[in-house]
Amino acid sequence: MIRLIASLFLRAVVVLSGAALATFALLWHAPGDPALAIALARYDAMVTAEVVDQVRAQSGLDAGFWPAFQDWIMPLLVGDFGQSSVTGRAVWPELVTAISYTMPLALTGLLIGILISVPLAVVATQRPGGWLDRCAVALASIGAAIPAYWLGLLLILLFAVQLGWLPAMGARSPAHVVLPALTLGLGVAASFTRILRSGILEARGQPFLPAFRRRGVAGRDIERDHVAPHAAIPVVTVFGLELAFLLEGAVMVEVIFARPGLGSFLVNAIEARDFPKVQAVVILAAVLFVTVNLLIDLIYRALDPRIGERDA
Amino acid sequence: MRSVGVLVTLFMVLALFGPLLAPYEPTQINIPNRLSPPNAEWLLGTDALGRDILSRLLHGARWSLGLAFLVSVIGLCIGTFMGLIAALGGKLADWIVMRTTDTFLAFPDLVAAVVIAGVLGAGTGSLIFALTVTGWMRYARVSRGIGLSLQTRGYIVQARLAGLSPFAIARWHYLPSLLPSLIVVWTGMFARAILGISALGFLGFGVQPPIPEWGTMLLDARIHMRSTPLQMIWPGFAVVICVLAINLTGDALRDAVVEQEHKD
Repeated sequence: MIRLIASLFLRAVVVLSGAALATFALLWHAPGDPALAIALARYDAMVTAEVVDQVRAQSGLDAGFWPAFQDWIMPLLVGDFGQSSVTGRAVWPELVTAISYTMPLALTGLLIGILISVPLAVVATQRPGGWLDRCAVALASIGAAIPAYWLGLLLILLFAVQLGWLPAMGARSPAHVVLPALTLGLGVAASFTRILRSGILEARGQPFLPAFRRRGVAGRDIERDHVAPHAAIPVVTVFGLELAFLLEGAVMVEVIFARPGLGSFLVNAIEARDFPKVQAVVILAAVLFVTVNLLIDLIYRALDPRIGERDA
Repeated sequence: MRSVGVLVTLFMVLALFGPLLAPYEPTQINIPNRLSPPNAEWLLGTDALGRDILSRLLHGARWSLGLAFLVSVIGLCIGTFMGLIAALGGKLADWIVMRTTDTFLAFPDLVAAVVIAGVLGAGTGSLIFALTVTGWMRYARVSRGIGLSLQTRGYIVQARLAGLSPFAIARWHYLPSLLPSLIVVWTGMFARAILGISALGFLGFGVQPPIPEWGTMLLDARIHMRSTPLQMIWPGFAVVICVLAINLTGDALRDAVVEQEHKD
């Protein structure tokens, strides 16, 4: 087990190093002169070739790829995300503010998704092929096809513009989280419903269940002790994908709802060509994603002992 | 299955011949009649510059579906190639290829695509690059997995003993076995590419105006949500219908592949 954890951990480190290198290489080779972009952002009309050269020297852009990479990665390892190349302020505090807007949104979205999908899947699978089951399947299929930004716009149109029940833009009050979270939550609900439904149906089809029933085990106990754990395995496996969906969804949804979270932070940073900020978001996403997938790998093996070490 | 097939054929026809059906030029500006509601002259109304929305949607099919097709096929080729290298190239090649795959999988793919397309500068070229770079990994994993399981099959071993080059083995023995699963993966990636293209277009990092791409149209329509809400409905609806049809096709194909495997 320890060997397994060590090898999974080592793999995560290799992957993250590769991810850091890939991110840095992309931004390093981006078209346009970053020094010029910084100079324009800071000094606007006063920019001359000399100013650009001094900015280039000051921000370490003239040092070449590997020294620059080192300059970025070394502080990063101790949690220093560096300074914004445009404003010169530290990236980390602004990043924390952005996260403080995205976290409640993502968690509420996840909660809404679970609250819709679990009851729906459980009720739908009582009678496979029944009308409720068909509704669940339809919801899951349509939900998977609706892009988050369009759903968000439709919700704004209905609840904010037509009915005027909920605020749409910004993040001033707790009510502002409802529509964006609903947008994310419906997407999560669609994929969870689909996976839970097929998980439960597959678990119900297991050959050992009739044996329990004939031995007189109560139906409720069978559901709880044998069907539920079986159905949980696929849900845990897709949780990593779900996290990706939440992050991607947050990017789109925050832009639509003008919410100052990570998504808006990222899009604004790209538009301003503020690469330290872009790098910070990308690396943070990668670390989060890889860590969660590492945990999933471990939980997955704990839930299903048959998987064991063969896939390590 | 049959109804789904009909639907997909319909979309292909639409993407290929849609522009011929369009009543107007998609970029024909007509300011006096801007933001017109749907009527007999403009079936779906006009946008902020007075351009016919129906014509833009029909022309947009070529961009949205065509680019998605291109992106997913390039991804298919790259991913399959990488997967086969991993399966056939020995332990070291396998390790390198699979860690590379993991590295590319370390980013949520739409976030990565947004960053790549945004940093390289908005445009069709960087859009294709961004979505291809973030969209080949699943093919690689699937083809490697099946490739490894084939390795010990009798006919593969015999082919190797007969002196066939790895390239020939890959071409004549691996690819035919991989194809059904790869096509199932491809339908999923095709749908993802449609969503990705419209998402990037919506953020302003994708296909640039005045090209009528569905995501870009949605971006334009959003500003006039209050006055002409219907304008916002059509492009999104087009995306949903296409993605839904492709996903359903994928499900049907997957069932068919699984059934075939059971028969074998």
